Amino acid sequence: MQGKSWSKYLLSLPPMAYLLIFFAAPTLIMLFASFRYPGEYGGLAPWYLQENGRITLDLTLENWQRLLCTDIYIRLFIKSIGYAVAATLICMVMGYPLALMIARSGRKSRDLLLLLVILPFWSNFLVRIYAWMIIFSPVGALTRMLNGVLDLFGVGPVTLMYSPTAMLVCLVYVHLPFMVLPLYANLEKHDLDLLDAAQDLGAGKWRRFWLITWPLSLSGVIAGSILVFIPVLGMFAIPDLLGGTDGIMIGNVIKQQFMESRDWPFGSVLSMVLTVTAVAVVLLGSRLGQRR
Amino acid sequence: MKRLLSLLILLFLASPVLASEELHLFNWNNYLSKEVVANFEQSCNCKVVQDYYSGTEEMMAKLLAGASGYDLVIPTQNAVQALIQRGFLEKLDKGALANIKNQDPGFLNRSYDPGNVYSLPYAYTTTLIGFNVQRLKEKEIEPTSWAVIFDPKVLEQIKGKVTVMDDADELFGAALKYLGYSVNDTDEKHLLEAQQVIMKAKPYWAAFNSSSYIKELTVGNIWVAHGYSSDMVQARNDALAAKRDFTVYFILPKEGAVLALDNMVIPKEAKNKKLALQFIDFLMDGKNAAGLSNDVGAGNPNAAALPFINPELKQLTAIFPDQKALATLETLEATNAKVRRLKNKLWTEIKLK
Repeated sequence: MQGKSWSKYLLSLPPMAYLLIFFAAPTLIMLFASFRYPGEYGGLAPWYLQENGRITLDLTLENWQRLLCTDIYIRLFIKSIGYAVAATLICMVMGYPLALMIARSGRKSRDLLLLLVILPFWSNFLVRIYAWMIIFSPVGALTRMLNGVLDLFGVGPVTLMYSPTAMLVCLVYVHLPFMVLPLYANLEKHDLDLLDAAQDLGAGKWRRFWLITWPLSLSGVIAGSILVFIPVLGMFAIPDLLGGTDGIMIGNVIKQQFMESRDWPFGSVLSMVLTVTAVAVVLLGSRLGQRR
Repeated sequence: MKRLLSLLILLFLASPVLASEELHLFNWNNYLSKEVVANFEQSCNCKVVQDYYSGTEEMMAKLLAGASGYDLVIPTQNAVQALIQRGFLEKLDKGALANIKNQDPGFLNRSYDPGNVYSLPYAYTTTLIGFNVQRLKEKEIEPTSWAVIFDPKVLEQIKGKVTVMDDADELFGAALKYLGYSVNDTDEKHLLEAQQVIMKAKPYWAAFNSSSYIKELTVGNIWVAHGYSSDMVQARNDALAAKRDFTVYFILPKEGAVLALDNMVIPKEAKNKKLALQFIDFLMDGKNAAGLSNDVGAGNPNAAALPFINPELKQLTAIFPDQKALATLETLEATNAKVRRLKNKLWTEIKLK
């Protein structure tokens, strides 16, 4: 017995070490960088100064103060969280019925349907975003058709490209499978006899759903929500390509710090806040899941 | 198994012929004539492996983060200055460069690299305004000034049909020029003024876009775009080739603009410095240098190239600025951490509001 548990740890050691090292080490490096000065031409300035043989530390709280001395970064975080919450909710409302339908269909069609959900992953993420850019384009068929219909009702033309709507559509499109898959994995394992029993006892369709299926599926809902919420929170490619003039999210500003302004310390500060937010959401989610 | 096999075959096909030498080039995208590369590969029995970037900061970030393995890099002047200061570049062995005599002296010995110890000019572009000729004519807008992207009165008529570069240095440069300042002005008061100009114009713009404005212009989605001259030449040619019912053209705003002088440099850690020098010398040959203008639409700092360049291209002041136009152009200088930080704060405010 003892030998068995020993081998269990041995086998799980490499992946554990991998995850720990490649999460903990960068986080610690960023934490340290967030207290340093940026280098004159990029990178980081040395963290100590050597003068007359004496070594003094050259660290600062300036980068953290910068985060708090204006409200733009806080507002940016709130805006990004807003997008993440919206995308998660839409994914849930759209993904739940889909996952339920797949889980309750026959074995043969189930495999096919699952394959169709995964199918978009076969082409590159950016290629799919560019495809959306063509669909939303002002001279594209969709926009022209929509504006043609709107015109009949006397409503002015709308632009789809470069709008918050376009961003949200793409965020949902890209992340929907991440909601459907964990939900399906959960729903598929439900004991259908419970539903039969409830029906025998006189429970209607809605009551059976809210009293049995929904509570049992909560862990899947939470897993799916985390898988959608966290990547959306840090997303920068979609706002970059589709966001228009005010579609910026926190991921874009972090990218700016490391690229355009070569300000690693401030980029580290923003990344730390993002990491802490993400970890907090995961902890909250797993706490909610346990309570049930 | 089948998939694995086909993957292996693909990998095999992608790997270059083992016998020849390789030159690893890190360049702007679409900034080299295919024909010239093919000729060089044939003459040296080697292979040119290209890797591309679309913005100076992207390239700098990649190099400074430790990307190695490049034998030749094509950075813009302010990046050259920063790379020299970081001790990143190898001194050029002028003895191996016979064609150096072809270079136009007007582009040599600039302040970013006095005496051209580390760099030699490759090509130049201006950042200007590309536009849809017919659509602007219908609105009776003459895009001769930066007002076409900054003045709300003009923008009102073309709302949602304008994109500007997603690049703080370039956009601030244009706004500073519009206000009559230098593109390298670091006075906080002037930068705040420029920020105000940008904020007031922003509601009329469709997007910040540095990556797909060529396509948007040629398709007709966008009528006015702020971007690089070589890209605008391509947009014009693409629109012509696609037989659109409009033409794309470009103009250097009368207030002046940013001039980007791109250079050839060899990183200290380059593996194949000899081949890199050989390629530099090959590119400085008049006929080869002309390929950059004819195929890519870039301005040319090579005097020997001029006779080989398409005459129609040569007379465009936006591509080959005359003395009068040159006087209004400025190159961007490398900025220190404090200025970069200030600009980024102003930039984030612009993007958020």
